[in-house]
Amino acid sequence: MVVYKMTDKTMDNQSDFSPHLKRKRRFLLFQGRPETVSLLLLIVIFAGVSFINPSFLQISSLVDIARASVVTGLFALGVFTVLAAGGIDISFPAIAALAMYGVSTFVLDVFPEMPIALIVFSSVLIGLILGSVNGVLVHGLRVPALIVTIGTQYFYRGILLVFVGTVWLMEMPSQMTDFGKWSLLDIESNNGVTVSLPVYFLVLPIAAFTTWFIFNRTLMGRAIFAVGGNAGVAERLGYDLRKVRVFAFGYAGGLAGLAGIIQASANRMANPFDFAGTEIGVIAAVVLGGARITGGTGSVIGTILGVLLVTVVNNVLVLVGIPSTWQRVVVGAFILLAAAFFVLRDRKSAR
Amino acid sequence: MSKTPLQNAPFLSLNNIHKHFGGVRALRGVDLTIEQGKAYHLLGENGCGKSTVIKIMSGAHDPTEGVINLDGERLNRLTPMSALEAGIETVYQDLSLLPNLTVAENVALGEQLVAGKGRLLRLLNKQKIKQTAIDALQKVGLEADESLLGQVIADLPLAVRQRVAIARAIAAEARLVIMDEPTTSLTRHEVEVLIEVVGRLLDNNVAVLFVTHKLEESYRIGGDAIVFRDGLCVAQGALENYTRLQLAELMTGRSIEAVRYRTGKPKGTVLLEATELGSGHGFHNISFNIQHGEIVGVTGLSDSGRNELAMALAGHVPIQQGVLTLEGEDVRISSPEDAIKYGIGYVPEDRLSEGLFIEKSIYENEIPLILDRISGSFGLLDDKKGRAAAGEISAEMKLNTTNLDLPVSALSGGNQQRVLIGRWLSINPRLLILHGPTVGVDVGSKETIFHAIQEMAERGIGLLIISDDLPELLQNCDRILVMHSGCIVENFNAEEVSDDRIYKSMLASSLEVSE
Repeated sequence: MVVYKMTDKTMDNQSDFSPHLKRKRRFLLFQGRPETVSLLLLIVIFAGVSFINPSFLQISSLVDIARASVVTGLFALGVFTVLAAGGIDISFPAIAALAMYGVSTFVLDVFPEMPIALIVFSSVLIGLILGSVNGVLVHGLRVPALIVTIGTQYFYRGILLVFVGTVWLMEMPSQMTDFGKWSLLDIESNNGVTVSLPVYFLVLPIAAFTTWFIFNRTLMGRAIFAVGGNAGVAERLGYDLRKVRVFAFGYAGGLAGLAGIIQASANRMANPFDFAGTEIGVIAAVVLGGARITGGTGSVIGTILGVLLVTVVNNVLVLVGIPSTWQRVVVGAFILLAAAFFVLRDRKSAR
Repeated sequence: MSKTPLQNAPFLSLNNIHKHFGGVRALRGVDLTIEQGKAYHLLGENGCGKSTVIKIMSGAHDPTEGVINLDGERLNRLTPMSALEAGIETVYQDLSLLPNLTVAENVALGEQLVAGKGRLLRLLNKQKIKQTAIDALQKVGLEADESLLGQVIADLPLAVRQRVAIARAIAAEARLVIMDEPTTSLTRHEVEVLIEVVGRLLDNNVAVLFVTHKLEESYRIGGDAIVFRDGLCVAQGALENYTRLQLAELMTGRSIEAVRYRTGKPKGTVLLEATELGSGHGFHNISFNIQHGEIVGVTGLSDSGRNELAMALAGHVPIQQGVLTLEGEDVRISSPEDAIKYGIGYVPEDRLSEGLFIEKSIYENEIPLILDRISGSFGLLDDKKGRAAAGEISAEMKLNTTNLDLPVSALSGGNQQRVLIGRWLSINPRLLILHGPTVGVDVGSKETIFHAIQEMAERGIGLLIISDDLPELLQNCDRILVMHSGCIVENFNAEEVSDDRIYKSMLASSLEVSE
């Protein structure tokens, strides 16, 4: 066929490229899926810990990890969305705190009967609005997202402290504590303690699926990647940068609001200083999951793997006698390792 | 008003289009007409308004004045969206592909975007994307199998990317595809493929507008020539009615005999001798010399290797082969620092971002190379000495101000350039490389820069001027080297050559030249 004949030299003479191809194939595993690094690390840690401390290998440990990863996971999905769109968000802890604490105070002081569904919804809505403000500012001011969200982070936390309250809420509304305790399944561990997997855990897989769906099945998902890949080109091609940015930041804010209310329900207390300082850990998890800080890459599955890796490091290393002070060293080493690996991979594919 | 196209109206025509950028008049009343299914070649020297006019057609710029007729509808401007909706697609030199998305997505997402009228919260029709991509890719001669569709753009060779970009235009049901110097970085074989793809577009009643320097290829494709000069469309007509020489004359438009400063200047002894210099793929087999007090011009298309050669001599690009001697002594230049040590100065083309500290004062811009000379006790900067030295430079370069504290950004382009040249003169260079010395400089300032250049030559400094501006080279140089595909293809004596002749050898395909 004519079509065939016309394919150009580089395509015809595959043989020219075969040595490269062979070398590439060895890296193919990593090339397609950068998050494989995190998966490997995860497996190594699991294997190592189980070997040293066999009592680790039981359902209850997995349940612990699952429970501990919900809040970080929700944050991470939001950060991943923003990173993919070429931005960065460090205001989500403040958003989560404001949404969570604001709604809790409202329920305690004004509307004690508020159903739990409405509580969760309000918190998500507040997060969504605050996140959208980030998006509007980033787009409107043409200021780097890092600067904008540093600003709004102070701003949101400040509003919380000035207008909403500064005290630690120890008595939470009963519908929230009930929601936090509501168990999906109870597991008795070897030492007779019952561990329960709470219903709210389901929020994480649902949010992950939703995020995956947005990214892979809607035009918005592709638009986010387009803008993160090259905003100038995306604009030239007719993508509305404002919509994309407001969506990405708004979505991240909504997830932060959700994470906030879940944390408050599970811990049965609300502190206006909650979540302060969690942003770097979450961003680290997302980057370990293969998203580039420069935008346009990453995946939901990678993000979840990154979250699991960070959660496991924070919760499991203690079991094998590694002091908690060392966890930071380990996380730092992993990030450097992953970064080195990605750079190596990029250089390979640049050839 | 009815939206149905008038029967006889051409697809697109520009009437009396003006475009001003601040005080610069980029377009001064352009008229041109595009009909569907025809090929057009937009020709002209750099800076003649070619890129401005394609930006107006694609909606990136609004005209200052004039009317655009689109399907018989009179419009004052196009927006990027309305241009896309009308089927005007531009394949820029950067191709505007999204590097992190797949081939299929790059080709077909635009269609989904238009179908949703810009709404983003809608489901992707994956089947449709795939089908659209396959159809469009086949039209540009790419075999659209699964592995290609799923490839990320960043992993593809340039020639394939270009065809993906054209396929995207096809998928968007383009009626006019504008291609900005599409063959600049393609191999000869890839150019052949591109020409064939263009043939298919024309067969499908799509108009194609090339912005190009390469007359060779234009003649092969055929169609209309549209010649621009100084912001005006000076000719539009069937390409075959013009000879190459006529086109070159239309483009340069000059038989102006400007003063040739260099007639009869005595030659000195050899200053710089280059023997078979080469660097990767920038340039190769470069041999030439420059004498004391001689001014040598280098010209060629932007991909001819002239920029790389200039930067290599200044230590910005490594020289990999060949021998370079300066006054008989072998030199190895591997960094700008080396070059300065040997007394080689380099005034870059983009003085704003590469040459000047634009927000800093004239004083701070004039002294960076003589800090050791003006330092006082304990190695601290002696402000008095510094100001005296800077004052001398300003006076020597005839700046229009004696104020040393004025920020350079407040100066005109010509004065900025003189500050930069003055900075280099402060080290008494043996060789000065000037890259586009009068780019963005007004006519009056050009003269003073020319005088400065001539004065430097008189002092025995060797000068190498890299420029697109042929009259400028003819006025200032003793000899003019023409580069093409990384080689020096001509070594003209400036007294005995016309700019038409130079232009022709710049454009000459490698067929005519040394093969």
